[in-house]
Amino acid sequence: MSKRYYTCLFAGEAGYGVMSAGSTIAKGANRNGLWPFVVNEYPSLIQGGLNSCLVRLAEQSIASYEENIDFLGLFSQQGFDCYADKLSSDAIVLYDPATTQVDKSKVPAGALLYPVSLASFIPKGGAKIMINSAMLGGFCALTGYPKHIVIDTIKSEFPNAKVQQENILIVEEVYAHVVSSLPSEKIFPFDFQKSADPKILMNGNEAISIAAIKAGCKFSAGYPMTPGSSVLSYLADHGRNFGLVFKQAEDEIAAINMLIGASYAGVRTIGSTSGGGFALMVEALGFAAIAEVPIVMVNAQRGGPSTGLPTRTAQADLNFVVYASQGEFPRIVVAPGDIEECFYETFRVFNLVDKYQVPCIILTDKYLADSSVSHLPFTTDHLTIDRGKIFEERATREEPYLRYQNTPDGVSERAFPGQIGGRHIATSYTHGEDGFYSSGNKEYAINEPTVVVESMDKLFNKLPSMENDIPGIKLHGPADADLTIIAWGSTKGAILEAIEQATSLGISVNFLQVVYMSPFPTTAIELVLQSAKKTLLIEGNKTAQLGTILTAHTGYKADHSLLKYNSRAFVPSEILAKIKEVFF
Amino acid sequence: MSANDINVSYVPTWCAGCGNYGIINALKKAMSSLNLDLEQTVLATGIGCASKISQYVNTYRIETLHGRSLPVATGVKLANHNLTVIAEGGDGDGMGLGMGHFIHTARRNLDITYFIHNNQIYGLTKGQTSPTSDLGSITKFTPAPLGNVEQPINIVKMALNAGATFVARGFVGNSTQLVALMIEAIKHPGFAVVDILQPCVTFNHVNTYPWYQQRVKVIDNMEGYDPTSLEKALSFATLWGDEIPIGLYYRNIRPTFNESLPQLSREPLAKQPLDNIDIAGLMKEFY
Repeated sequence: MSKRYYTCLFAGEAGYGVMSAGSTIAKGANRNGLWPFVVNEYPSLIQGGLNSCLVRLAEQSIASYEENIDFLGLFSQQGFDCYADKLSSDAIVLYDPATTQVDKSKVPAGALLYPVSLASFIPKGGAKIMINSAMLGGFCALTGYPKHIVIDTIKSEFPNAKVQQENILIVEEVYAHVVSSLPSEKIFPFDFQKSADPKILMNGNEAISIAAIKAGCKFSAGYPMTPGSSVLSYLADHGRNFGLVFKQAEDEIAAINMLIGASYAGVRTIGSTSGGGFALMVEALGFAAIAEVPIVMVNAQRGGPSTGLPTRTAQADLNFVVYASQGEFPRIVVAPGDIEECFYETFRVFNLVDKYQVPCIILTDKYLADSSVSHLPFTTDHLTIDRGKIFEERATREEPYLRYQNTPDGVSERAFPGQIGGRHIATSYTHGEDGFYSSGNKEYAINEPTVVVESMDKLFNKLPSMENDIPGIKLHGPADADLTIIAWGSTKGAILEAIEQATSLGISVNFLQVVYMSPFPTTAIELVLQSAKKTLLIEGNKTAQLGTILTAHTGYKADHSLLKYNSRAFVPSEILAKIKEVFF
Repeated sequence: MSANDINVSYVPTWCAGCGNYGIINALKKAMSSLNLDLEQTVLATGIGCASKISQYVNTYRIETLHGRSLPVATGVKLANHNLTVIAEGGDGDGMGLGMGHFIHTARRNLDITYFIHNNQIYGLTKGQTSPTSDLGSITKFTPAPLGNVEQPINIVKMALNAGATFVARGFVGNSTQLVALMIEAIKHPGFAVVDILQPCVTFNHVNTYPWYQQRVKVIDNMEGYDPTSLEKALSFATLWGDEIPIGLYYRNIRPTFNESLPQLSREPLAKQPLDNIDIAGLMKEFY
């Protein structure tokens, strides 16, 4: 048996430690030479329902998943009903006959169905969540995944010695029980070896959070909203040691206004939300823009409209985020495609918002925010802080300080409260160079049209240098490919894997990844499209939002499109199928 | 601080006779008598006639969105807790859109001061019913014969219930008392609220100077007055009619939100160095 990927999926009701079972084998694999990719699916409820945790393992770096399940660990009937048709031909299914009936006609002929009375291994009075340790014992016995790795991981994850021992005992007992019934010892298809160079196992929200800390962010405010919240909880927990204050706000409107206040007072700030919360923030987004107060906001997209699908993925807020405003103003919108881009682009935009004094939105989605991937630790030696034009304190000056002084690049010096000589008014009104409302007084009223034009032009004079400062696109693959895929955000991983497979089939494909959505990298895109032979647009929404923006900026219309809006992320096989379809 | 230094070159655009003139003079007097360092003071206002006060006082100022002065002031204070932070705005701004923020800022007892100019009407949008408009108020949005049928919000009562630790009501027609209340409010370590009664000479022809003059009564001389008692304060707060008590209703010291944060026991966040922050330890947690 030679497998390139080994996919395990645990499924059951919330409350049985489904995620914890997956996370244990993923962590163990990550520490012992393999490269896991972890995808969690869960409904918006606390108990019951169907949670699943998919762990895909490989011997080299991976960036995507397939529902081609080699091991299915079932905690409930619903798990079998949902995943029976996604089993590989030689899959192993471990289930507790007390909770789950398996219908043999629904699984591949070569599959091994293995019942274990998992619950019976929990000691009397023990927590039902310990059933996941029973599952792990059975998993090791049936797959050959080293039991000592599971035990080491349990030791590192459970600080309480008693809990640790109880769980380890269950693992051992189930393992012994299952092994004794097998004709021979199972061998896992991949080699495990302690890594000399440790790897991180991290999701997109975590990468954004540590990048914010690295960038010197000292204040965050927000209101809980899945899937954006975990940035906030990470900062609330880990930020303290770095002097960062996280304030839970009464609503998203308060949250973004707190960020604006803190940034006005000189602190780097980040917020995180999802589409509904971002909708509430839009008025203040314009306030940040006209007052030229830099802020960074994460929008981790979920299904919409309205409450939509709180725990499922989508790429349908692109138009909203790029255009959200009353009036017009420049902004930065970046859509990282993996955790590496989550980290480095977050660090970058903290510098960019200070340099250009504009708001920025980091546009991710549930799939990227929540899926953990194995990666080498990020190198940070080359990262430097640039706070842009800051007012120099002085007791006396010949000319009055003008917060919004017109300059060739549209950027003027920021003074922070407390600085001597920098007093000014920052305002949500359209204003002149001194910050005073353009029609608020006789002196200004007469010149209002001029002041308004100057004020708007000042904002937009920032655009040419902003455009030069952003790495707007990435081109993956050969420049002269026969097919060019155009896509953005978290589809990146599935596309890269599909391209690899296509290449091995002799199909030449490259991938134009649009990383920055605003300012839109028109020139760079046009350059790539000039030599593109055939194009395929791939997006996680119904209306091809990037396609619309692309056409608006360049007039270009992609030849083909693959749009998915069923609340689940793209997988390589469906992209490969589409590549074949448009290619042949 | 000189009297000149607090003034800006722009002339206020409020109507002749507007209560805001009295309030800005009282604010300047209070700041001057406290000898506030204007470079270390931030005035955050909302949007509306009252909120325009930030255009005319020469401190650091941020003129926010309608209703949002308090969350912005919160951000300023948490970013630099050495600053004196004052939020200000009208009754519509603060009790309409801003109500949620008002209650939450009060319960967290952030060390900021909030002056509400309360003329019981929307002025800048030209005369609509406000959350503090009396029952029966006839305005553009609640026309005759019915008028306003909703119970007005009593700012003092609201502030007391929400947990503000300094609650007062002033009247622009009693400047001496108003200045004294403002001074005490700014000095107060915690969330201090002053509900400032003021006429709108253009759009509110009921709650006029004489209307208030006939009703306001200095609370200090009223029977049973005890500003250390929340119960007494609440009982005075129910008076709104023939008698409207003005003065300090309640003062209490409890830990402020900013004091509760260990991160703020050091230099302000705004003064923390950003270079070479070591995140190797954070990354190790993901091994």
